[in-house]
Amino acid sequence: MSKRKARGLAPYVFISPFFVLFAVFGVFPIGYSIVMSLYNWKISGPVAFVGLQNYINVLTVDPYFWTALGNTVFLLFSGSLLQHFIALPLAILLNSRLARAKEFLKTAYFLPYVTSTVAVVIIFSNLFDTNFGLVNWLLGLAGLGPVAWLGDSVGIKAALSTVLNWKYVGWNMVIYLAGLQAIPAELYEAAAIDGAGALRRHLSITLPQLLPVIFFAVSLSVIGGMQIFEEPYIMTGGYENLGGEGNSGLTAAFYLMFTAFKAGRLGKASAIAWILFVAILALNAVNKAATDRLGGRR
Amino acid sequence: MTAGLAALALLFAFPFWYVFVLATWPGDRILEFPPHLFFGTGGAENLAILLARVPYVANFLNSLGIALVSTILALFFCTMAGFAFAKYRFRGRDRLYAFVIATLAVPGFLNIVPFYKMMVAFGWINTWLPLVVPGMAGAFGIFLMTQFLENSLPDELLDAGRIDGLTEFGLLLRLVFPLARPGMAILGIITFIGSWNSFTSALVFLPDLAKTTLPVALSVLNSRVDNNLGGLMLGTALSLLPLVAVFLAFSRQIIAGLTAGAVKS
Amino acid sequence: MKRSMAFFALAGLGLALAAQVFDPKSKVEVTLGVYGDLERAYTAVLASADFKSKYPNLSFKFQTADMNGHHNRLSTVLAAHEATNDVEALEIRFISQFVEGGGLVDLGAQPFGGRAAGRDLAKFAMSNATTTDGRLVALPVDIAPAVLFYRKDLADAAGVNLDNLANWDEYIAAGRKLTLDRDGDGRKDQFAITHPGDVGVIPLNGGNGGWFSGGKPLEPKDRFLAVLDLVAKIRKAGIDADLGAWTGPWTQAFKDGKVATMPLGSWFGGALKTWIAPESKGKWRVAYLPGRLYAAVGGTYLCIPDTVPPARRAAAWEVIKYLATTKEAQLATFKAIDAFPALTTVYGDKVMDEPVEYFGGQKVRKIYADVAMHIPEALVSPNDNIVLSIWMRAVGTVILGKKDAATAYEEARKKILATIE
Repeated sequence: MSKRKARGLAPYVFISPFFVLFAVFGVFPIGYSIVMSLYNWKISGPVAFVGLQNYINVLTVDPYFWTALGNTVFLLFSGSLLQHFIALPLAILLNSRLARAKEFLKTAYFLPYVTSTVAVVIIFSNLFDTNFGLVNWLLGLAGLGPVAWLGDSVGIKAALSTVLNWKYVGWNMVIYLAGLQAIPAELYEAAAIDGAGALRRHLSITLPQLLPVIFFAVSLSVIGGMQIFEEPYIMTGGYENLGGEGNSGLTAAFYLMFTAFKAGRLGKASAIAWILFVAILALNAVNKAATDRLGGRR
Repeated sequence: MTAGLAALALLFAFPFWYVFVLATWPGDRILEFPPHLFFGTGGAENLAILLARVPYVANFLNSLGIALVSTILALFFCTMAGFAFAKYRFRGRDRLYAFVIATLAVPGFLNIVPFYKMMVAFGWINTWLPLVVPGMAGAFGIFLMTQFLENSLPDELLDAGRIDGLTEFGLLLRLVFPLARPGMAILGIITFIGSWNSFTSALVFLPDLAKTTLPVALSVLNSRVDNNLGGLMLGTALSLLPLVAVFLAFSRQIIAGLTAGAVKS
Repeated sequence: MKRSMAFFALAGLGLALAAQVFDPKSKVEVTLGVYGDLERAYTAVLASADFKSKYPNLSFKFQTADMNGHHNRLSTVLAAHEATNDVEALEIRFISQFVEGGGLVDLGAQPFGGRAAGRDLAKFAMSNATTTDGRLVALPVDIAPAVLFYRKDLADAAGVNLDNLANWDEYIAAGRKLTLDRDGDGRKDQFAITHPGDVGVIPLNGGNGGWFSGGKPLEPKDRFLAVLDLVAKIRKAGIDADLGAWTGPWTQAFKDGKVATMPLGSWFGGALKTWIAPESKGKWRVAYLPGRLYAAVGGTYLCIPDTVPPARRAAAWEVIKYLATTKEAQLATFKAIDAFPALTTVYGDKVMDEPVEYFGGQKVRKIYADVAMHIPEALVSPNDNIVLSIWMRAVGTVILGKKDAATAYEEARKKILATIE
């Protein structure tokens, strides 16, 4: 085979495993899920074809979906997106000569990602306990009244955001660290010669160079953040509490799981999943557009 | 500033430390309040509970084997696909890539139902296959490697390699894999941790206790009346160690990885 | 021609039924899916001499997970319509979605004869496992009669008698005396109850069934409104410690003797004794709930998924029958994991008359048995879980004082109707 032909075929060969696997393992579940969403589907199986009624019910009649979606978007910003403003500077700091014990710090910041949820919940429930928690105790020292963190709709969001930020900021930092490695050192040297200060260098070199990584990391946060389930589920007391006071901890994925496994409505749950899919795609498109524009302004 | 970074490190690391502390307290004292900050003396007792209840070593090895296989496969296939999407211009590239990304947005919570049907039909229940094969060339890994390779693989390098007589596959092995190390490190960490922590898949596809993974085995200790909390904590603590080890092993690659590339223009 | 066809049809039916009749000579390995400590108990029972003498050719394999994981798995495999374990355990709170949802073998039909086999099992539990069209989809194997656990020493010190409270108002009045400042630091540190939410569902069949009446949720209105009023009254009386269940401070409160009463199912006694407050041995007692309220909070059922091949159902049924309806199995399970028997004929056994050391020698099992015999039947509906969750939220809101009982009731009712669309 000629080199040229090989070069033309190579990419198709290289990407084929994904598509083969998708054809074998991905198509059936997706198709099944779409079909489920068009039926009134109980645990024992399909009961009746209802067409788009599940979607209509979820979007218009259901009392929890929009609350859940709103909670999810709120937590997306407060628990998944805002932390990038901390993760990126942290990565820069850790990457610079100023930071000692890089390996140790990097590992320490990453530990939340691996610490299992069993322990995390015990600790954070203790921390945010209304009567005995450390947080309220500290507030008391500052003269502020105790907050019913897990018993109050605003408090629940604050506690969940804290857990999510704590858990993932190290993870984002590591991604940014990897991205920082690819920036050629000469760029910084040249800028230093030109007399640019640290802040200026980062604004005009680091940020633009990192834009693709930022897009990537934010995309992951969007995709992951819109599907958060475990932390709200455990911290607000599971299916029987529906997200705590005001359903504040009820995320879209939480409501999806409740609808499927507690309420036994697989068709409705599938509809929720597909509506969520559209929402995630939309947010990702916004992310892409924003990143492209920022890149274009370089 | 060092003090600030160190304080932050303490904040992040404390709960991890806390798991190990709790693992050394007897079950009926774990939920005591105020929470214990230092080690107790119940470690041996907890170990006895743990080993009596679950075949911990077998589960540990299962978790390790499945995670390693998943990781190696993901590193290979996703880097390969990422290379293609990042560095080749081919017909349909943009649409195919967009498709891959779109599959990431499909919430997979309910997939387990049709997926289970498939695994029964294939006869793959009680094997590692459902946990390893379908995710081999996962969209997430492809996304990651594409992003990473787009910006860190100079085209000149690839052309130079071709001129030197490397085949396309040779490029992959000789140039791409070495240069992709930071990205592969991240993918390796995520894949390993994700596989290690997966619970529902293991529960459903590996019904035999001796064949299943750690999260499932540990859930056996989770009951309201029996006093197994200590064993559960110890089992959990021990199961965190490989994750830290993997992180340490891979993360060296992240900072030790390339700067400046091999080609300077 | 017609006659021979009828003959063949009958023969076919007979063969099909015969396949489901137990053959004691065939060696079968029965698989059971369970959660929590059930495996420990059942392993012992199925290894006992009595079982082995009756079923020498049966062997067993267990699949255990925590309660939520187990039910998720069961839902998944049932939804996928695939074969799974021969016998599956179901906790009472999870049974409603399976009762009407289907996917389980009708144990009341031939050749099982579940109704006859289960005639001595607690009536309310049998009723919980029966669908509106009369199918018996599971057999109850243990139940958890709800009682009032209380600290006798604290009650005596406060001069209250918790043994025969006539109604919840008397309970609250007693609770006021039980809530005090023990160490004189100006803050209350002993409380009557951990949280008003503890009684949020107990007066409503323990949350198992009875949510719908005439197809309408939360009817009759007064019954449900009364519970919302009750939790509001408890909070207003200031007698609760505002502790979240199963947290560190909650556990510590029991250890420190800061909680005077706890209304819950009989299994809670086992938890107290084993790990929550073993040091308080001798100080706790058991009483009937105020007004002799009869309810169950907890309970296990065993079922056979209908994806299990007919040939395997016979052995599975024998196992279920043994675990649920034989005295030996019921008592052994009770001894092993404190799971109160569903088999009412066991209530006359001498073990029920034993004084229980942890409760200062009180014969608590007689109380459990008496409650179990009186728990009323309630109709289970497939939407019960939805109602329960929405109801708990209403209870929570009323306790926090964010809404009054009437408003919370109306909102809950509307939300339920909209969600079960």
